[in-house]
Amino acid sequence: MSIPGLGQITAQQSSAPATRTVALHPFSEWRFQISPASTAACRLVAGTAERDGTELAQNKTYSLTRCRSKIVSFTGATLEVSGEFESENVKHSPTPAASPFVAYLNLHFLLQARRTQASQGGNGQGPRVMICGPAATGKSSLAKMLIGWATRQNEQPVLATVDPRDGMLALPGTLSAAVFATVMDVEDPEGGVGVGCTPSSGPSAVPVKLPVGYYFGREKVEDDEQLWKDLVRRLGSSVRAKTGGDQGVRRGGVVIDTPAVDFKKGEVKVKNEDGQQQVEQGGGVEGLMHVVREFAVNIIVVLGSPDLEAELRSRNNKSTLGEPIEIVNLDKPDGVVEQDRQYLLSSRKALIKDYFFGDSKRALSPSVQSFSFDDVVIFRAVDGLDLDDPPQVLERAEITEEMSHWTLAVMDASVNDPLETIRQAPVIGWVCVSDVDKDRRRMKILSPVSGRLTRPMVWGRWPEPYVNLLG
Amino acid sequence: MDDIGEEVAADFREALQDLSTNARFEIVTLTNIAKENANHGLAIAEVLTQHIKEAPASKTLPALYVLDSIVKNVPTPYALFFGPKLYQIFMGSYTKVDSATRRKMDEMLKTWKEPIAGSISKKPVFPPDLVRPIENALLAARNAYQDKFQSQQQHLMRGRPVGPPSRATPTPPMGRAYQPPPHGQYPPHGDQPYPMRSGNTPNGMPHRATPPSAGPHAHYQHPPPSQGPYGAPAGINIDKLKDDIQQLIQLGTAEFTQNMHDDSIKTRLGALLKLQEILQSQNLPQEQLMAINDQVAQLAVNMRAAATQPQPPPPSSYHPAALPPYNTTTHTPTPPVVVSQQFAPPAAPVAAAVAPAVQLPAVLAAALGRPASNVAPVPVAAAPPPPPRPATTGGTLSLDSILGQGALAALLAAKKPATPQQTATPVPPPAALAALRSPPQQTPPFQPPPPTQPAANPLTQNPSALLAMLRQSGLLGGTPSSAPAPIIPSLPPPDPNIITLTSASLKLPRLHLLPYLLDHLGPPCSQCGRRFPTSEEGKKKKTAHMDWHFRVHQRVAEAEQRGQHRSQFVSELDWIQSHEEPDVDYNAPSGEGEEGSESDDNDWSGGVRGGRKGGKGKKEEKKKRWIIAPDEGGVGGVGDGGAGVNKVCPICQEKFQSRYLEEVQDWVWMDAVVVGGQPGMGGGGKRVYHGSCWDEVNAGVQAGQQQQGLTLLGKGKREREEEGEEEIRGGVKRLMR
Ligand SMILES: [Zn+2]
Ligand SMILES: [Zn+2]
Repeated sequence: MSIPGLGQITAQQSSAPATRTVALHPFSEWRFQISPASTAACRLVAGTAERDGTELAQNKTYSLTRCRSKIVSFTGATLEVSGEFESENVKHSPTPAASPFVAYLNLHFLLQARRTQASQGGNGQGPRVMICGPAATGKSSLAKMLIGWATRQNEQPVLATVDPRDGMLALPGTLSAAVFATVMDVEDPEGGVGVGCTPSSGPSAVPVKLPVGYYFGREKVEDDEQLWKDLVRRLGSSVRAKTGGDQGVRRGGVVIDTPAVDFKKGEVKVKNEDGQQQVEQGGGVEGLMHVVREFAVNIIVVLGSPDLEAELRSRNNKSTLGEPIEIVNLDKPDGVVEQDRQYLLSSRKALIKDYFFGDSKRALSPSVQSFSFDDVVIFRAVDGLDLDDPPQVLERAEITEEMSHWTLAVMDASVNDPLETIRQAPVIGWVCVSDVDKDRRRMKILSPVSGRLTRPMVWGRWPEPYVNLLG
Repeated sequence: MDDIGEEVAADFREALQDLSTNARFEIVTLTNIAKENANHGLAIAEVLTQHIKEAPASKTLPALYVLDSIVKNVPTPYALFFGPKLYQIFMGSYTKVDSATRRKMDEMLKTWKEPIAGSISKKPVFPPDLVRPIENALLAARNAYQDKFQSQQQHLMRGRPVGPPSRATPTPPMGRAYQPPPHGQYPPHGDQPYPMRSGNTPNGMPHRATPPSAGPHAHYQHPPPSQGPYGAPAGINIDKLKDDIQQLIQLGTAEFTQNMHDDSIKTRLGALLKLQEILQSQNLPQEQLMAINDQVAQLAVNMRAAATQPQPPPPSSYHPAALPPYNTTTHTPTPPVVVSQQFAPPAAPVAAAVAPAVQLPAVLAAALGRPASNVAPVPVAAAPPPPPRPATTGGTLSLDSILGQGALAALLAAKKPATPQQTATPVPPPAALAALRSPPQQTPPFQPPPPTQPAANPLTQNPSALLAMLRQSGLLGGTPSSAPAPIIPSLPPPDPNIITLTSASLKLPRLHLLPYLLDHLGPPCSQCGRRFPTSEEGKKKKTAHMDWHFRVHQRVAEAEQRGQHRSQFVSELDWIQSHEEPDVDYNAPSGEGEEGSESDDNDWSGGVRGGRKGGKGKKEEKKKRWIIAPDEGGVGGVGDGGAGVNKVCPICQEKFQSRYLEEVQDWVWMDAVVVGGQPGMGGGGKRVYHGSCWDEVNAGVQAGQQQQGLTLLGKGKREREEEGEEEIRGGVKRLMR
């Protein structure tokens, strides 16, 4: 309701930061990078524009921070921007045909058609789309766009990530999934899928998203491939159960973001985030095929790798549900920057901070409590080769100073559960060890809520400890 | 309503009409009439309600005073009659009156919460559940207003004549009223390199006047000139023409669905459908085809112009499968043959036909034996919202004068904004062309167009042009009036089958589908950009959605005072059973005092069931809230010093038990909550209860902590089962005490 003339409030300071206008032609992008220390504002003055598939409201000032992102217009738009940018530029597309978004949009409309077909006949199963490719090909961005566009057309698709580096609605090191039914948070540094978009005890101006997550606690798949596969299976079966029970979600289908796999000429490379390549035997493609099976993928979108496309084509041509698997390779959009190590590290830290303390829109009040060593149960993956049969997967972690500043995953399990159960349990949250006093056998733990820590916790090996979280 | 009732109502209505001041006498008289005719109370209430609704702003307040007076003097039955409509009555009036009147209304509203002055009854004039929604709405509107006000302010500060003129109060450029989090809740201080927020700028906006740091300024460059000249001449391609018409029909249908009552749109759409039919059923000579093509080209430009109005470069301005000429030659390596394989008709022939079409007007002119300029000049001044740049003469422009002959057809052929053919095409001044197609660059005063505005469209004013032309060419008999009412097809769904999962197919621009993500979804929500259709159902959804926004606005402020925390993630089972319901608040399963869900988990114990060490009940653990015991020298517990705090739970009359809590290293009362007063602000009005007792008493009442959009299906049942266990355990516990 608008009540004109209501509540003329407060006179306030008049110093406005310099604003300027960014004009976007149809199918051009405004790309920007904003450091975690600064903020910028963006307002859509005319036309239509969107971030990762979610439209900007007209004349609403969005506050942006800590991100490398882009705002795209398909119809042309005028933006008003202000604030500090590390870098910023407009990428024009000479013609729509030259824009990668043409293919993305077509892909969306194709998926939309499949959804309609699915609900009109057949099993009601919407498309299960796996997006894969080498690093810096815009996989996550495409995944978000496909989800955003689908929700705009009133679909309720699942977005899943099996890339432990992402931290989709979770801390990094987690494989997760969530149903998206409403707009994403345009202001979220992660484009609406950051951990800041998960529920808190208070209301949220942008609808929260409810994830299910499994804690991998490693950066790379190959660091513990067996665990990764087990967790992909768990996540896949949760998503299948979800789509099975909810007709709307079933129709909406699933979009799965995957770890970077750089496949070339018979060898599989997995790229580190700092650009170093690790050659590895078949793991990458095997991993993808594992995802295809566990999520009953029937559409594979490869970004920027005809070789990978060819390899995947040679593998299997039937989905778990018996449908033909369709595979397409799309060009990698140019200008996707490979994120440097420092940037990614700072993003991870910021995510951890968001998780406990909230963001600029929601300040949260976590608690710091002191626990006796005997009051907590912390496990850690057994390192190295284990010759036991069956192999012991977890062991009680010895609590030492070394644990300081690490985030621990709190598992939805009981401390008395079998280790295997704990290892594959969904994560219900995280705590951060802020201090360990070995002499007094007490430790201080930062936790979103106060209360006893009765759940088993897992000490992963990634993301790295966040030393100054508590100052 | 019986005759007497009708009479009474009519009299009352008449008396109301004359009421234009707050004259006490008249109000008392009207109140007495209402009192004496209480048996016709419903009729009177209806009349008054109607009157308030329709009265001009100046007469609204007196009428409200009548309502107020009647309700306070004759609460039965009038409070009952006005109650259900109270919200509409009040809010409806509020929106139309000035701020002085609003203050009066605020005062009035306040009195409604109180018992009637002088009455023995302690009941308020209206029950709180009628008054509170109004208060909430006002609060929300104030918040929302602030947003709006501030954004308007921004316009003003930039000298932009936008929006209703509002006060020139300087306002920070952003910041939503509810946004700034209190400083105190921040972590002591952050990791140096990543100060997430600084205490001084809580809403994250640097209030410094420093110009943005270097960085390449987003200066617009014209898209690189490229691409060769238009294609080679040829005759009319009938498939191409059919396709164009199909596109226009789609466009027209969209227009029609948005503006059902515009006859001209309807007529035009009818003509198009007719034309389509003719083309499909008859073999027309080339000359007639050309005439049609010509007309269609004009229509395309005009409809485009109309569709453009709301937004700078119109989504609908894009032509479906029409590849611009240069596309076929330069950009897309795919040969037309491949294209047509992937494109189901009618799109297929289009690509092939594009180039020929470009040369049409000249051909047409020759064929028709008249100068091409006879093609009626089309005023397009209103077409693209960006005002023409200086290069153009302003006022009315004809497309031809801007672009030269051939432009119409070129535009038709390449209905999407094409790259200016700067190098190759001699005629079009690039600047003008750019102005036509895209938002202007260095022109800050670019005006955001009003969201919905019926387009003043040249051709709309002459919708029968096409019909006339058809008649003229002998394709259509009869007079305009005899044109059959068109059968309006429902909005055609994007034909999915034309897209295949191949990279060639995916790379073909299908810009006609774009509106399905934009305009066809309806106008966007001003708060979040989500679109809602203008249908009845869409309106309902939008209303629910806006209600949700306002509820959230309000609760955000409350929540900030309360302090919030990240919720634990739900269990696998809960996740699987949860259901996303946009714009529906999270509702606690019925019969539960506390939802015990993601929105109110006070520790890490929710979610999993069974196997828990020590067998502590879920509820018991959930309710494990404690306060520092006041009488054991606790610091900062229940009020400073803790003097005067009740040591017995007022509900169960049991003493609170102190115990030493390791984790806080202090003595606490377990399962205790402070109710009333402000924690830490002295003991006034404050009571301590057992958390569990308090919840029991307040079961079902507490709905404050709602979470948007999540409803847990099946959760209620499961929890009720658990509650059953709780009962037993609770019973045992009580026996033991
Ligand atoms: Zn909204
Ligand atoms: Zn009690």
